[in-house]
Amino acid sequence: MDNIAGTKSSLTWAVNLSVIFLVLLWLVPTIGLLVSSFRDRDQISASGWWLSPFPVEQNFRVRAPLDDLAQDGPLYVLEGNVFGEGSGSVSAFGGTSRAPDANEPGETAELTRDRTLTVAADGAFRYTSPAEIKREPSIYFASETPPDFSMGNYETIMASDNMDLAFINTLTVTIPATIIPILIAAFAAYALAWMDFAGRGLLIAIVVGLLVVPLQLALVPLLQLHNKVGIGQSFLGIWLAHTGFGLPLAIYLLRNYMVGLPRDIIESAKVDGATDFQVFTKIVLPLSFPALASFAIFQFLWTWNDLLVAKVFLPSNSESWVMTVKIADDLLGSRGGDWGILAAAAFISIAVPLVVFFTMQRYLVRGLLAGSVK
Amino acid sequence: MSPLLQGVLTIIIGVGGCVGYFYLSNLILDKVIFPPRADNPGRNINRANLVRPWLFLFPAMFALGLYLVYPVVGSFWRSLFNRSGDEFIGFGNYTTMFGDAGFQTALFNNFLWVLFVPAAATFLGLLVAQLTDRLSWGNIAKSLIFMPMAISFVGASLIWKFVYANNADIGLINAIRDMFGASEPLDVLQLRFWNNFFLMVILIWIQTGFAMVILSAALRGIPEETIEAAIIDGANPFQIFFKIKVPQIMGTIVVVWTTITILVLKVFDIVYTMTGGNFGTEILPSYMMSYMFRDDGRATAVAFVIMIIVLPVMIWNIRQARAEMR
Amino acid sequence: MKTKLYAGVASIALASGAAFADGHQPFAIGDGDFNWDSYNVFADQYDLSGQTVEVTGPWTGLDAENVEKVLSYFASATGAQVKYSGSDSFEQDIVISARAGSAPNVAVFPQPGLAADLASQGLLTPLPDGSADWMRDNYAAGQSWVDLGTYPDKDGNDQYYGLFYKVDVKSLVWYSPEAFDEAGYDIPETMEDLKALTDQIVEEGGTPWCIGLGSGAATGWPATDWVEDMMLRTASPEDYDAWVANEMKFDDPKVIAAMEEFGYFARNDAYVDGGASAVANTDFRDSPAGLFSIPPKCYMHRQASFIPTFFPEDSEADFFYFPAYEGKDFGKPVLGAGTLWAITNASEASNALIDYLKTPIAHETWMALSGFLTPHKGVDTSLYANETNKALGDVLLNATTFRFDASDLMPGEIGAGAFWTGMVDYTTGKDAAEVAKGIQDRWDAIQ
Repeated sequence: MDNIAGTKSSLTWAVNLSVIFLVLLWLVPTIGLLVSSFRDRDQISASGWWLSPFPVEQNFRVRAPLDDLAQDGPLYVLEGNVFGEGSGSVSAFGGTSRAPDANEPGETAELTRDRTLTVAADGAFRYTSPAEIKREPSIYFASETPPDFSMGNYETIMASDNMDLAFINTLTVTIPATIIPILIAAFAAYALAWMDFAGRGLLIAIVVGLLVVPLQLALVPLLQLHNKVGIGQSFLGIWLAHTGFGLPLAIYLLRNYMVGLPRDIIESAKVDGATDFQVFTKIVLPLSFPALASFAIFQFLWTWNDLLVAKVFLPSNSESWVMTVKIADDLLGSRGGDWGILAAAAFISIAVPLVVFFTMQRYLVRGLLAGSVK
Repeated sequence: MSPLLQGVLTIIIGVGGCVGYFYLSNLILDKVIFPPRADNPGRNINRANLVRPWLFLFPAMFALGLYLVYPVVGSFWRSLFNRSGDEFIGFGNYTTMFGDAGFQTALFNNFLWVLFVPAAATFLGLLVAQLTDRLSWGNIAKSLIFMPMAISFVGASLIWKFVYANNADIGLINAIRDMFGASEPLDVLQLRFWNNFFLMVILIWIQTGFAMVILSAALRGIPEETIEAAIIDGANPFQIFFKIKVPQIMGTIVVVWTTITILVLKVFDIVYTMTGGNFGTEILPSYMMSYMFRDDGRATAVAFVIMIIVLPVMIWNIRQARAEMR
Repeated sequence: MKTKLYAGVASIALASGAAFADGHQPFAIGDGDFNWDSYNVFADQYDLSGQTVEVTGPWTGLDAENVEKVLSYFASATGAQVKYSGSDSFEQDIVISARAGSAPNVAVFPQPGLAADLASQGLLTPLPDGSADWMRDNYAAGQSWVDLGTYPDKDGNDQYYGLFYKVDVKSLVWYSPEAFDEAGYDIPETMEDLKALTDQIVEEGGTPWCIGLGSGAATGWPATDWVEDMMLRTASPEDYDAWVANEMKFDDPKVIAAMEEFGYFARNDAYVDGGASAVANTDFRDSPAGLFSIPPKCYMHRQASFIPTFFPEDSEADFFYFPAYEGKDFGKPVLGAGTLWAITNASEASNALIDYLKTPIAHETWMALSGFLTPHKGVDTSLYANETNKALGDVLLNATTFRFDASDLMPGEIGAGAFWTGMVDYTTGKDAAEVAKGIQDRWDAIQ
């Protein structure tokens, strides 16, 4: 008995550890994105995100202001502090950008034209020259900088005009575009799974085949069609488009789930005189909740993150922008290299799908079928 | 009218319309057209049951026909014309395409993707689904692994850029190599052949969440009794998993595998943003996108090659469906 | 007196339409050295109250704000409403909307090749009569601009479709004056000097160049600019034109020579930051940061006039003209690009908008907002927002030869496809002749 218990607990340990390992593996890139979203573009391209929580030694350049020019015997002297009003600790310094950390603090560096430079550890410097100094000389020094995170990227995104409108627009697009295809697909899936008619196999094959149709193929003809029938570029148009594009996968996934439901429940219901419609609404639909929930998650995600369909089927004015369009075209656009904004945008747009995931996960429950197979 | 209100209304009208359609059409079928009370109730019920599948299928077939079949047929016709669309060239686009070295590379790479990505994502998804199934913090673990699904492709490409960057200060891989004493940074995206696998990792990272969610739902659909019976019979956890659970969810595994295979044949974003198809990493969807809106004939021809690649998957699914129906 | 006048004009402007009520007109009408006469003449000519012009273009962010400001003057002059929408994937969007029949009134094309494509499908409307003549007379090198905007229509007849408004200069080398000063480097006047400077920097232990070709799906395009600039410096402008038209084949020795001139810099491990292998995949937006790091990762960066947007904040930068060979007699060629305004959905207001772009005020307002160069001869160049812009304008004016970015003129498959990927292959070690032949094969395939 002990033995069995022992293997059991070691197995539990193994399961826990391997899940932790997998989660970490999956999380590392995401954490990178999260950390990057709190840094600005220059920081992101200067050092790795894994170094950002630690102080880094960075090289700086300051100009010694000429206002402080003084004469000390034959020498012209500039004195001041490299940190200006602030404070810090110099770990090395130099007089040229090529060798910004050539000298230890406190040393005196010999520069060109008989100039000298001394920088103390606290940042106080003394720059001397036998000839008059005409241009502000540069002083280079290395110093540790504390980690620097800011909400700047998030503020930029949240504060941009019409962001609230874009958020509402996105919800307006996503919710109907999630619910309608599920509903239509559920009926079709039931028919393909539990109703007997000629051509069923062929229809299933067609649905699988349509899964692979690239969206881009359909855009121009459909927009033409919408223009012709008067829908044009509108919310109605995008709902229909998302419905059409989402249906194959919905039917495919739901049919697969429904076909796995125990045959005897359905047949006994039919024997009791239930019509297909009743069987569907009273038995199959409730039992299919896990599948409906998981498809809802995915359809929601796709419509939420979609950029292409939104750009084609919605008007291009800023009142009907959804968040992806707003971020891609308005915020990133010519600042396409602004990685910080991109990262922050990715995290803002991840929030709602995660909430949906958590909510829907409750429906991925066990035991709907408990007691049914006897 | 504000879009939000319009949206709420549409949900009501759309959902109500759908429910109304299904309910009323069934009602009419059962009560008006073929009422079982008439002279020949048995025959009428049979007739009604002949028509009913099509009532259930009609909205879906209509939407599929309009939004997918119609453009596909139109596109196939288009793929038989030259780039400006005014000259019929038969299968000219297809023959020139197969002679193109870029297409051959894309085709070869795509086979690698199709072999590797669905297998890896499904395996990992199943692993996570099973391991977290009875874990107290399983839902949290699942959410974390699901997270990449919710990140847009552009965001995903950005973050992997910081993994692969050709610079020990920015790229994680090169930082690790640096730690182990490698002197020169290495651009993994320029390593011929292997770079394909580095790109695949991104899609696997994203799609494992998909496989996990579906398979997790399937695992929970397994009747408890079968497992309890196995435990009583003294099966160990591995036996339960491989002998009891996997066979019961085989259909779902096929579905997940198929869906990811098909996704692999559609996703161009990763290759597009990471390498732009350079360094020998082109795949068919990105190859198609480089022609899309420029040479529609060629682009649609690529689309049809992609559809032909899916044929075996389709056939496999039909056989699976036949088997299920017994 | 002056304030009174201003108030008067303002009330007229208000009366003429509430369309610009957004109110972001940066310069009060009538103020400053602007050519307000041209504005008033135009305003008298048109009354488009109640009409709307939709404009779409590639600009987003700051450029989009600027174009909206500039167009607000058109709105206040005519009473029409102007809606600009910019998109990062403009090239794709305009093709979809034009084909589906829901294009906006006016589209701003960054690539003449794309406009030519749409024109040949009958999706563009020729500009109002007389536009070509106006261009010829009022733009520096007017005829070449007219040629760049003239394409065959659906029936094969040449029509004038596009008006160039907003020009970029590409033959520029950016550097940090501070770094040059400390190291004691002089601005090279000739290509020979530039090559000597490159070697000198290497001898002194530095790295001369930062080159990055990475740009997502468009990876490789910065290299095409290099090759085009080199082509103008090693071959005659006529050869360049022949190359663009593919009368000179892509695998012509002259083109291969120009590619190898680029390779001289980009394929030398000592010349480029990170070594030659880093060139192909370094993002072009990250690449110039090396100029400003301490110690400098590189000293020079060849890129078009838009690049300062991507410099790290607070960095001091300057540019010099990418010099020509002293030993070759091709003058001082300048490579540039520009945006072309074309009518995708004709209306009275869209024609009026094109007419408005011919007025000096349309150019001067954007000049004063910065980020805008123009070959319009009738503008007051003192209105350029800053010295850098003015100096850029001078590069344009001092050019003995101006040529448009070849890759933007070539068919899409080449100029925005095979040429890009070919250059990536070349920088990663493929033979120039082989690459050139591959591109020519692609070109043959589409003819």
